[in-house]
Amino acid sequence: MIAEQKNHSRHILSGTPEFPVWPKHRVKLFDFLQGKWLGHPLHPAVVHVPLALWLMAAVFDVFIFFKIGVPVLTRLSFYCVMGGLVGAFASVPTGVADWAPIKKEKPAWRLGLYHMMLNLVAIFIWAANFGLRLNALDKQSGVTGPILATSLLGAGLLLVSGYIGSLMVFDQGVGIGRLSKKKWRAIAERAGSRLPEEK
Amino acid sequence: MPTPKEIMEGKPLRSPLHPALVHLPIALFPLSFILDLASWMSPRPELQLVRCAFIAIAVGIASAVVAAIVGLVDYTGIRDDHPAKKTATLHMVLNLVAVGLFATGLGLRYGSLQLERTGALPLLISGIALGLLAYSGYLGGTLVYDDGIGVGRHRRRTPLPEKTIERARAGNTPVVIGTVPLLAEGETARVDVAGTVVAITRSKDQLCAFQEFCTHRCGPLSEGKVENGQVICPWHGSRFSTATGKVTQGPAKVDLRTFPIEEREGKVWLQAEARSSASPGA
Repeated sequence: MIAEQKNHSRHILSGTPEFPVWPKHRVKLFDFLQGKWLGHPLHPAVVHVPLALWLMAAVFDVFIFFKIGVPVLTRLSFYCVMGGLVGAFASVPTGVADWAPIKKEKPAWRLGLYHMMLNLVAIFIWAANFGLRLNALDKQSGVTGPILATSLLGAGLLLVSGYIGSLMVFDQGVGIGRLSKKKWRAIAERAGSRLPEEK
Repeated sequence: MPTPKEIMEGKPLRSPLHPALVHLPIALFPLSFILDLASWMSPRPELQLVRCAFIAIAVGIASAVVAAIVGLVDYTGIRDDHPAKKTATLHMVLNLVAVGLFATGLGLRYGSLQLERTGALPLLISGIALGLLAYSGYLGGTLVYDDGIGVGRHRRRTPLPEKTIERARAGNTPVVIGTVPLLAEGETARVDVAGTVVAITRSKDQLCAFQEFCTHRCGPLSEGKVENGQVICPWHGSRFSTATGKVTQGPAKVDLRTFPIEEREGKVWLQAEARSSASPGA
């Protein structure tokens, strides 16, 4: 079954009906990015960081802009945006590795495409936000209008794309049962269920 | 109108709330720890690392409490005899301990926010709590991705089976699994007759019995949605005829085994054949 999965990913990636053989290191890289070594997909675990930290940065920015709460939030918001950028760099390759094996005719493929495009735009916005912030930190000008605007825009995009991501998992089942096939097959066989022949 | 329980399960959103809310504590607690470590490496007051770590933990705890409430709703939805129930119990206990530790650390930090570096004891507590959280988060990931907890659940309006009805086999004859009326339209039950696990539903006013596990990735059909004489696997949406077990929509390619079931003398009788008599492809 695992061999079948590998063939399948290669076939979808190449877009050709036959199964071209990929160099071994490329297959291994995909296995790593898909979280085979961990036991569950890597992408949903990594995205906690940019999603939560950037959303919190936007919330903190609103507080700072309207001068509610403690001044230290300016710093914390800065650290959140910085941490989010680090997390985003790990999220992109793992996300692509999860998306690539999805068949093009499935709704999840299109959802994944939107999810990815929104996230890439969001990353650029947050990178710009970080640049503005570095500048503001030097001048001690706190959260300026452009910083707040990019924060809110970036957070809005993330909410939409994060929601699309959750639909991919909980509505479309992407990644579900991918690494537990053997376990559930054994349980189903013991329970007298008919199953396709093991490839 | 969705009930409060359905809202907490995220059914109107088509996606559970607990996995969405946990983003905050899972990201904020490690951030606080990194800020703590930074305060040791670079104890400069203008960086305000100690205060920032304090706020990150406080917000992390607040969001963890909200996540715990909806998490508990998800937890109670897992069938008691589901193999994932134990994982979920451990996940919950570890999270409670971890958040408790962070709360203790928060209390210890409160008096010394003016310092340049986080105290050794709160730092140690954070490290331990973070270790627990990492393992528990991993368990949460396996609950979703290995065991499919919460996946496709929003399609169901009828309650999931709370436990498996277990019966010993009496020869190769039908066994009584309940009394009439066993199920309302669209409801399901999960029955284990001496190891053979069968999903039962009432579909188009007929009781139907078929294998519990989907022929695609072994998703639990007793947790699937039943509509128009078909059962929809909660995981990847394969559809099967409830009466004949035939695939009506992929990704599954192999038909389900079905089992004779009938209502007679006020009781429901199910005949689950011995496993050895199951001929693949028949």
